[in-house]
Amino acid sequence: MYRFIFRTVCTARHSSASVFESCVFTAKCDKSAALVLRVANGSGVKALSTSSVRFCEKKDDGANSHQVEKTNTDKDAEPTETPTVVTQKAEDDCNITKMAEHKEEEPAVLKTDEGGTTQRQVDVEIEQVVAKSKQVKTGAAKSGKESLLDLLGAMKVEVTSKRKLKNLIVKPSYESTPKSKPAAMESTISMFQKATAEASSQRETLDPELVAAASAAASTLPDRSQAESELLRQLRQHETITEAQKTGDVNNLGVIIADMKVGKNPNRQNARPANQIRFDDDGRGYTHDRGITAELDGVRRRRNLFTGKRLNVFSPTTDEDGVESTVARPTLWDVDFANQLSLSTNQKPRNGLEEMIQWTKEGKLWQYPVNNEVGLEEEAGVPFHEHIFLEKHLEEGFPRQGPVRHFMELVVAGLSRNPFLTVQQKREHVSWFRDYFHQKEEVLKEADVYLN
Amino acid sequence: MVSSSQKPSLCTNMAAPGRHVGHYIQRNTQFLRNNFEQLWSHRSFGWSPALRQQAADVNKESTDAFVIPRKKTWSKEAVLEALASTVGRDPTAHPYYFQDDPYLSPRTSSEFRLYSLSQESGRSAAKYFVDSNPKFFTKDFAEPHIPCLMPETVSLLLEEMSEEALKERISLRKVTAAVDMYDQLLQAGTAVSVETTHELLDLICLYCDRDPVQEGGAQAEDTEESAEEARRRKGRFRRPSDRLRFTWRENSNAERIFNLLPERDTRCYSALIRGMVKHGAYAKAFSMYTDMLNNRVTADVHAFNALMLAAPDVRDKYNERWDLIAELLNQMSQQKVQPNLLTFNSVLKALRRCGYLGKTQALQTLNEMKAMGIAPSLASFDHVLAVFSKSASSGQGNTNILHDVMSELAGSSFTCQDPDDVLFFSSAMRICLDQKDVELGYKVQSLVEQGENWRLLGDSYQQSIYYGRFFNLLCMLEHIDVVLKWYRRLIPSLYYPNPQGLRDLLQALDTDGRLDLLPTIWKDIRSLGHDNKSDLVEELLTLMARDRHSPEVQEAFAVCALDVKTAFSADRGRLSLEWSNASLSHITSLLLRANNTQQAWEMLQLFKSKNRVPEEGLLEDFLSACRSDGSADRAVELVQLSAAFCLSATPRLANQTLAQFDVTAEQRAVLSELEATGEPSVNSG
Repeated sequence: MYRFIFRTVCTARHSSASVFESCVFTAKCDKSAALVLRVANGSGVKALSTSSVRFCEKKDDGANSHQVEKTNTDKDAEPTETPTVVTQKAEDDCNITKMAEHKEEEPAVLKTDEGGTTQRQVDVEIEQVVAKSKQVKTGAAKSGKESLLDLLGAMKVEVTSKRKLKNLIVKPSYESTPKSKPAAMESTISMFQKATAEASSQRETLDPELVAAASAAASTLPDRSQAESELLRQLRQHETITEAQKTGDVNNLGVIIADMKVGKNPNRQNARPANQIRFDDDGRGYTHDRGITAELDGVRRRRNLFTGKRLNVFSPTTDEDGVESTVARPTLWDVDFANQLSLSTNQKPRNGLEEMIQWTKEGKLWQYPVNNEVGLEEEAGVPFHEHIFLEKHLEEGFPRQGPVRHFMELVVAGLSRNPFLTVQQKREHVSWFRDYFHQKEEVLKEADVYLN
Repeated sequence: MVSSSQKPSLCTNMAAPGRHVGHYIQRNTQFLRNNFEQLWSHRSFGWSPALRQQAADVNKESTDAFVIPRKKTWSKEAVLEALASTVGRDPTAHPYYFQDDPYLSPRTSSEFRLYSLSQESGRSAAKYFVDSNPKFFTKDFAEPHIPCLMPETVSLLLEEMSEEALKERISLRKVTAAVDMYDQLLQAGTAVSVETTHELLDLICLYCDRDPVQEGGAQAEDTEESAEEARRRKGRFRRPSDRLRFTWRENSNAERIFNLLPERDTRCYSALIRGMVKHGAYAKAFSMYTDMLNNRVTADVHAFNALMLAAPDVRDKYNERWDLIAELLNQMSQQKVQPNLLTFNSVLKALRRCGYLGKTQALQTLNEMKAMGIAPSLASFDHVLAVFSKSASSGQGNTNILHDVMSELAGSSFTCQDPDDVLFFSSAMRICLDQKDVELGYKVQSLVEQGENWRLLGDSYQQSIYYGRFFNLLCMLEHIDVVLKWYRRLIPSLYYPNPQGLRDLLQALDTDGRLDLLPTIWKDIRSLGHDNKSDLVEELLTLMARDRHSPEVQEAFAVCALDVKTAFSADRGRLSLEWSNASLSHITSLLLRANNTQQAWEMLQLFKSKNRVPEEGLLEDFLSACRSDGSADRAVELVQLSAAFCLSATPRLANQTLAQFDVTAEQRAVLSELEATGEPSVNSG
């Protein structure tokens, strides 16, 4: 029921599809997934992280919508609508607390990964939010409105701080992010799943979790690969610095750098970490550090090989000379060239069938029956109608009508259906009858059956 | 379903008896089809599509004029090709051509070479025998007759002096006999036709005025092989196709006959120029070309192709070389000679030796090819890559050009159009390896897997280079699981890795901490015949002995170590391994960690027999193993052994043994003595 009300209200006020979706989601969350999420809170498994991510995506819209709703309800204050609004508010309340908890979980995931100071700052703020939401929870029954306002304010603060963080790490403007969100969301979620799954295997350099998180963050941005590499670089700096401070020796950076795995890319992302030290272990010397220009290589427009100047020596004309020379008999040079070609390629068969192909080409094998004319080599040049339409052979030497004619027509019909004789044999067959009837012409005329 | 390719033949059968039947059939089938579709529309009918098709054909026929459809011709191999395309590659099997005889399944690259070459040579020997003894092979078994199974005529049949005899000598490629016959004909005053003269000149120039090496024929002298030629060939596999290269002789028969000719046309000049370039007389070829220009004879495309190839050899400076090539190209277009693919490939090949000029000119040449509507072959791209990889010292443009080339080529499949085509893949992979670009490597590999492109990997040597580079790249940059996946796909069905490749694999295992796989890798090393490469074996042992692992892994390592030990002692008539100190102590400590004290003790005995001295740490490890076993006798023996090696640690070991073991009085006396004798030396040392 809540869901229904919520939906109607939302659709009435904001027909935007994305908002609608987010509302439905939160409502659903409240109805069914709440228990699951609570249970999951402790263990911190996939479902939670995914939902938190999803929430992360939606929070802007959600916050906005709540705000707008609030103002609207304040303005209207109609008695008929108040009941629904109240329920709406309660609903919102629940949602917000839920959100806050998600919020709490998300930084927890991030916090384990990063030791960055900026992150901590966010944590503090989020804790404030959580505290407030707790407050709200307790006092939700009596003063829903004010606490909701407070909460929303806190949420906004949180959102802006989050925004700030993102801006800190990545240069591209945040304004353009919502456009690319829907496309990026799926990958984001899968990233988090991957991150939790791989949590056990700790790597020497960057946590895969961390890398995944960074790439997840980057994937929400339009310029994915660049953002990701920059994120990673930032994180790596954090790591080296914290590492150095932990060991109490900042000058010892070289050791840390030496410890970092060299030339390995722990996850198969398309962007290569920019400042990774890539030392040749095969003794080919140093390769050049691919700086920011190398990163841009991936993004830059592919130069086409065929878009430059040309020599402008020849004019593309189809001369008859060229055609003529190909028609001419192959010279010894051509034979030698063909031989060279066949020797340079690998002609070894990979299976029995290929071997049979080779033999067929060499003429060692009878060709595979590809049609029903196999073995009819001598008839290959004879068109089918020569076989079928044999009446023309009756034109001369036979009477126009009568029993002989009738007989011969039957013979021809029979011959036209015989696939086993060549055309020449069929002709001979007919002419044998011609001779025969010529010889017997007298007898036939006596019997009055030879009509001409 | 009836495929569309069958449609014409079906139509033939239908249409032939006469169109008057068509209407009835059409009506009937239409009726049938409607019925069926109403009744059985939810089921798929085996023959209903065929019915529908017939109806459609008849429809078309009744409306249009009667046209006898074109006969559909099938290639002889079409069915076989379709069948062959369904057969995938089995990565666990040996190559097909070795499957006849399981005994001859190659396990190493040298065996592979040996077996494939012997197979080839067996075939050639049989062919030679049949051809040279045609009298024994007169019976024709095949019905219908299969010509290629019958012996070919390789000996001369016509003895009398005639143009026919000359033609026969030319077709059998008897160079000297043909020249003799030609001279005799000239002396007798018989005119030889222009056509035959051309062929004779072709023959002489192609084989450089020597008889080609026939199977089993007289071996040609290789004294004239230039030193440079030999150097270039060294380090390469000698392919069976490698002919001995000859240099162009001064005043050879070709030039003599050429000068005797009353009329010299394009083809004579072309044959001479091609022969001179082929056999290394580059300057002579150019002087021949100028002579030709002076006589106002136009050259043909083959002559120009040959001259392009020779251009870098007759000029020293880069810009002079390019000027010469450009001049040749301009003359080509002036003489209205259409270039072909080989022309541009020759230009690009020449540009490889034009230094800094190469980069710009190569791209312009490619564009010229496009403008001429000539699709570049893999060789063209290979030359372009080489041009860019040489001049790109910054390492930047190099991958970029490969990126460009790969995006151009992705998904296409090629046939061999130039003998140099087969060099593309290995050089592309070399660039990937140099630039450490796995993504690009995968792209190249997927291009190889496209269609019939694998044939363009070249012979087995080229192929092993390519896969070696690819595997090296993977080992260097990929995660170990991916490396192993490729390892199982490639080895040994496509690629026999060399020791360096295996060492890369070991390093990859080490980097990703999957040392527990070492025993299986060792098995592969053995079967690949690399178990006699001491540095590889020692690296394996070092990796196994370096860290302590879980008991199961240690157990597997110990078994593997014993296997390695047998590799040392095995005598298979080839270079066997020498025991080194490191390998002895690694095996011993591996055995100790698996609590295999008895075997470890035998290993310690080996130290003595091989004149090696164990390290003190190893002996201490051994002592602690004895302690966990509680075998005092073994401990005392150990101390005695240590004393025999005159190790400085002997007193300490003796001391420990006295303190930690329950020894008999006799042993105690021995130990105390050892402890005492050691002390002065320790103090003095």
